[in-house]
Amino acid sequence: MRLLLRSLAIFLWLLPSAAAAIEGQRAFFPSNGKETERLTIHAATDLEAMRPLIRDFQELRPGVAVDFVDYVTNDLFRQAVDACAGKSRSADILLSSSVDQLVRLANDGCAEAHTSRETSAAPAWANWRDEIFGFTFEPVVFVYDRRALPAAEVPRSHEELADLLRREPEEFRNRIGTYDIEASGVGYLLAFNDSRQAPTTYGRLLESLSRTKTVTRCCNNEVLGEIAAGNVRLAYNVLGSYAYAAAKANPDLGIVVPGDYTLVLSRGAMIPSNARKPALGKQFLDYLLSSRGRAVAREYSFFFSESGPLPAGVDGPASLMESGIARPIRIGPALLAAQDEIQRRSFIEDWKRLIEGR
Amino acid sequence: MTTHRSSLFARIVRRVAIVLMLGAASLITAAWLYARTAADEAYDRLLLGAAFQMSESLTVADGALRFVLPPSAFELLGLAQRDRIFYRVIDPAGSTLTGYADLEPKAPLSQSRNGPVFGNTEYRGAAVRTVTLSRAMTLNDGTGWSYVVVAQTVEARQALASELTTRATFLVAVMSLLALGGTALAVRYSLRPVDVLGDALRQRDPQDLTPMSADVPRELIPFMTSINHFINRLDERVKLLQRYVADSAHQIRTPLTALTAQVSLINEDNLTPDDRRHLERVRNRTAELARFTNQLLNHAMVIHRFDSSQLAAVSLNDVARKAFRTAIPITVDPDMVVSFEAAEDDPVIMGDMLSLREAIANVIDNALRHGASSRLEVRVTRDGGYGRVEVSDDGPGIPAQEWGNVTKRFYSTRSGKGASGLGFAIASEVASVLGGRIGFREKAEGQDFCVFIEVPLAAEERV
Repeated sequence: MRLLLRSLAIFLWLLPSAAAAIEGQRAFFPSNGKETERLTIHAATDLEAMRPLIRDFQELRPGVAVDFVDYVTNDLFRQAVDACAGKSRSADILLSSSVDQLVRLANDGCAEAHTSRETSAAPAWANWRDEIFGFTFEPVVFVYDRRALPAAEVPRSHEELADLLRREPEEFRNRIGTYDIEASGVGYLLAFNDSRQAPTTYGRLLESLSRTKTVTRCCNNEVLGEIAAGNVRLAYNVLGSYAYAAAKANPDLGIVVPGDYTLVLSRGAMIPSNARKPALGKQFLDYLLSSRGRAVAREYSFFFSESGPLPAGVDGPASLMESGIARPIRIGPALLAAQDEIQRRSFIEDWKRLIEGR
Repeated sequence: MTTHRSSLFARIVRRVAIVLMLGAASLITAAWLYARTAADEAYDRLLLGAAFQMSESLTVADGALRFVLPPSAFELLGLAQRDRIFYRVIDPAGSTLTGYADLEPKAPLSQSRNGPVFGNTEYRGAAVRTVTLSRAMTLNDGTGWSYVVVAQTVEARQALASELTTRATFLVAVMSLLALGGTALAVRYSLRPVDVLGDALRQRDPQDLTPMSADVPRELIPFMTSINHFINRLDERVKLLQRYVADSAHQIRTPLTALTAQVSLINEDNLTPDDRRHLERVRNRTAELARFTNQLLNHAMVIHRFDSSQLAAVSLNDVARKAFRTAIPITVDPDMVVSFEAAEDDPVIMGDMLSLREAIANVIDNALRHGASSRLEVRVTRDGGYGRVEVSDDGPGIPAQEWGNVTKRFYSTRSGKGASGLGFAIASEVASVLGGRIGFREKAEGQDFCVFIEVPLAAEERV
């Protein structure tokens, strides 16, 4: 059902005439006690991941009901831009994995600053202007199908992946999955950072991906679904949290943290400047950044954390940050470069030309 | 004194404080301007660097303009961590290639053809610093100018400027306080001679009409000269008055002597007892008048001598003995036991024989007249650095509360009853001019009431 709605949403977005009416997937969490306040969350984040966090927040604040609307990243951005211009109702807090879009919003003056004990504990790379905070720690990983890919062949780095595909292009034809970076803001952000992190490897990898006729999907879960279905053997650039959640459900899925470098994405949270209940949004933000919120996130939602070890069963170093391979995507003005229209258009065009062989 | 008195100290310190405040204000303003310039220069370099990177990313491919935004430009600008960044790239046709199409620097774009143009403006409700760069591009449709405008909010600049200003302000404040404290100390120190002069004036003997000779700084010399000038004039006046009194007394003495003689010639036999009693009173009053006149003359003489004569070494035994002889009349009451006791080692003092004799005689005379009932002793002693003449009698003495008063002129404990009031005054004046004093010792068990004059010993005697 959700997939259907999501696809519908994308479909609507692709129709220019329907762009004004941006629809997301709505979920309502009634308050535990008598409802005194209602928090509106607009998110580009999986509802299942957020559910334990919202429930736990409601344990602390029994009077709060939560209205949760899930969008795909680009829709969330367009909705927030509209809201910032006063054209539509604004949420009390925005959560998005596409942090470059949040940075763009903050840069355009659509965010409200918030400082508290919790926000000051956030690492410097996950805080810009006290307006955008990264509240998760999600390594970007490879996911493979243990049934189809022998352990010896599993690539442990971007380099190895490129080599593997170059060696056996026929073997992996239509068997590699990744984001459709045109449809997914996160996909674009990750690809853009790949290209900046290791331009040569990225070029080679893209070339290899193009030769194998890579399967592209809008979202993490769809890519993972293709693996589970046996259509795809290896997915490249999958968020660790989705991968781990899927691997827990399906032991056939293996996860590799690339050993040359691992991008780490932190989902961003931002209080919109014209939020109707900014104080409530800030309370939820504080909860997300608090040690209790992080503990719940690590346990039930996102599975990875900056300080803790990798979850069991994940192929990689014990501690990502200490090993030095982690490349956190710094939340800051450099992400504005990713948001530039020409940049985006030419990057996506290049990518499409290669991947889709056009 | 309830009215507010302005003090020199307060006046000086207040004025210095005003000057310091004005100075501090201008220094802080200068520091603020400097800090702003410094912050602008520092962050302008970042801005210019980013603009150059972006400008160099403008390329021509197949006669068409191509632009790839360099993320490093944003990383450079990101060094000012909290600042928002806006940019706009304009192609030769004048349309916005990418970025914020409504970003408009204050100066016209074409101005940047001669070099980068910085400016301040407002964008999206925030103050921003802009830089405009131009680049000539040759495209299919001819050569034209393309522009890169980069703008950055000014939070980091303001933070840096305010930090620099705060530090400068702190330093200026510390310096100003030090300067003010130093000034206060210096002023207090410099004004000390005024206090010294005041103390010298206050501690002066009221009788002392000699010029002051305090050591004062140059600025106070006119002041002291005026005081001395005033003292001189007062002194002249007082001397004139004394001479007048002396002359008057002298003039009175001659008719008085005649009057005494005439009174003594009156034959008492023919008088009624009443008349005789009246005559006796006239005689007594005449004698009193004569003595008083003499004292006035003596007083004038004493003062005159100190004005004119030099001090010389005088034997205290000698002078006391002479005074004793002068003061004890031959007709002294036979019941009265009088004695003189000289010091064993004759104390020598610096003084004037005549004045000193007069002073001692006055004290003896006073004791004889008002004190002694059966015994009077005059004793010369030496007490430390002082020579002392003691006159003691077995009379009731003078109560202690009166001691201060009796040395004033024309003061008597028993007014109107034969008191001249000049005896102690003369003695006191002589003693103080010689650097000594007149003193009293109370009557006690086995000890008579005693009046003494003490005068410092001559220098060679003291050893």
